[in-house]
Amino acid sequence: MSEKQDAAGFTPVAAVESPQKTTAYASEPTPAVPIILPSDTPKGDIVVDAKDVSVMFNLSRNREDGVKEYFINLIKGQLHFDEFWALRNISFQVRKGESVALIGRNGSGKSTMLKTIAGIIRPTRGSVRVKGNIAPLIEITGGFDRSLSARENIFLVGTMHGHTKKYIRSRFDEIIDFAELERFVDVPLKNYSSGMVSRLGFAIATCVDADIVIADEVLSVGDAHFRTKCEQRITQLLSGGTTLLFVSHNALQVKKLCKKAIWLEKGKVMGIGPSAKICELYAESLKTMPVKTVKKPAAKRTGGQ
Amino acid sequence: MKKSIYEFMNFFPFLKEVIKRDFKKKYYKSVLGVAWSMLSPLLMMIVITIVFSTLFKRSIPHYPAYWFSGNMLFSFIFEGSSAAMGCIILNASLIHKMKIPNYFFCISSVTQHFLTMVLSILPFFLVCVVIGVPMNPYMLLLPLPLIMAYLFTLGLGMLLCAYGTFLRDLNYLYHVLRRIWLYITPIFYPIDIIPEQFRFLWDLNPVYVYINIFRELTLNARLPSEKMLIVGTCYTILMLALGAVTFKEKEDRFFLYI
Repeated sequence: MSEKQDAAGFTPVAAVESPQKTTAYASEPTPAVPIILPSDTPKGDIVVDAKDVSVMFNLSRNREDGVKEYFINLIKGQLHFDEFWALRNISFQVRKGESVALIGRNGSGKSTMLKTIAGIIRPTRGSVRVKGNIAPLIEITGGFDRSLSARENIFLVGTMHGHTKKYIRSRFDEIIDFAELERFVDVPLKNYSSGMVSRLGFAIATCVDADIVIADEVLSVGDAHFRTKCEQRITQLLSGGTTLLFVSHNALQVKKLCKKAIWLEKGKVMGIGPSAKICELYAESLKTMPVKTVKKPAAKRTGGQ
Repeated sequence: MKKSIYEFMNFFPFLKEVIKRDFKKKYYKSVLGVAWSMLSPLLMMIVITIVFSTLFKRSIPHYPAYWFSGNMLFSFIFEGSSAAMGCIILNASLIHKMKIPNYFFCISSVTQHFLTMVLSILPFFLVCVVIGVPMNPYMLLLPLPLIMAYLFTLGLGMLLCAYGTFLRDLNYLYHVLRRIWLYITPIFYPIDIIPEQFRFLWDLNPVYVYINIFRELTLNARLPSEKMLIVGTCYTILMLALGAVTFKEKEDRFFLYI
């Protein structure tokens, strides 16, 4: 692997330079100039540095995966698929101890951005550099194997996050305690309620000493009691100088937890600045957006005869 | 390089957990459990021996052990690489959610089949004792062909995975190829039935090279020839390098296809 740590101690998540540099954007409307407002950022080190990040997905709209198609495309010189740019030229920096919210409508690229920072998705272009270890609270129930018990899953998912067995063993009781699953430790997860599974996922993801917490709507997990506990846990994590990156549709929560917000729309940055101000702008944009009411189909009963 | 090693060490516990889980799930709720890994080749051996031993009795001494050793390595190489080919597609949901290096899925699927094969060495020795194959000190060198076959299979699996993730038809094609390969590899027939002038072609078959080394050490109680060892080592190194390089080159595009 040619990736090296640079002088600042960054570990690049990815720095993929794609050869086709100017394609695919042609049909796109010119991006609106993002609103960048000054926010009172702490003067710490930069821990997340996203530079010109673009991520492309394959929509795979019923395309044929067959040999014929494959070879035809191979001869044509390119394996074509429906390109979809989930993120386009996103750049921002997050400093140590900051808490930043990503807001925007469904499908605006918030989760993709978080996954890119967490290193799950490699940017198609551009680079994301992250300093410190991450507690990814993204798809917290994703790694579970439903046929295994909570005990086995804690070790399975814990190792997926890159922890050693010894480390997980030392946190085991804490996890079970936090998830309130003492009675069900050896019950397979398929017999759990969905709330219980989410609680376990949250407990595993937050049991670490992380420098950066990446949370994707996880604070809406479980019942009111557990939500409070989660928020407390997050606040507790943040108090020790941890950086938070956070996706939420709950404006109140955003204003409470985050000082800074990034507003995404269709994969582009619309604004960066103090969370209160950005939330306001975002809310306004939602208001001005025309809401199509679904019309009832006109009663067309000709009766046939 | 340093980062790769660090990454490997970081996810090594995951590998262990996943292999443990797969083993557990494979025999989930079966009464005999892991014993099936040993029992099924034994049962198969009995059938094959009944069918073929009259045919090849004179030219192959210890026919059951002869077939068993060949079949053991052959099944491992093909099943292991076939599992590795589909591992990215199989674990698609995990790859979308977790930051796990892709090649770990290849390693885990090959290793799982490898362990199944290692388990079936116990019944192999049982067969040897029963049919009167003398034990010999060269048997201590058995890890050599096994490790060679393991690394070869890993390389082959990664190579297949690099293409099979994009073109899923490869899986079906591979199963046809496996059938053909089964017949051109001396597993249930002796090498003697191949005309002398074509025999060098058979000696180039990588699967047969590993089987041959294994049989030399156990059934023939002697060191394999130098040529055999060199060819085997070359195949291992080349396949592993080819697989790793191809996989590395293609893996960035995997997630567009799963």
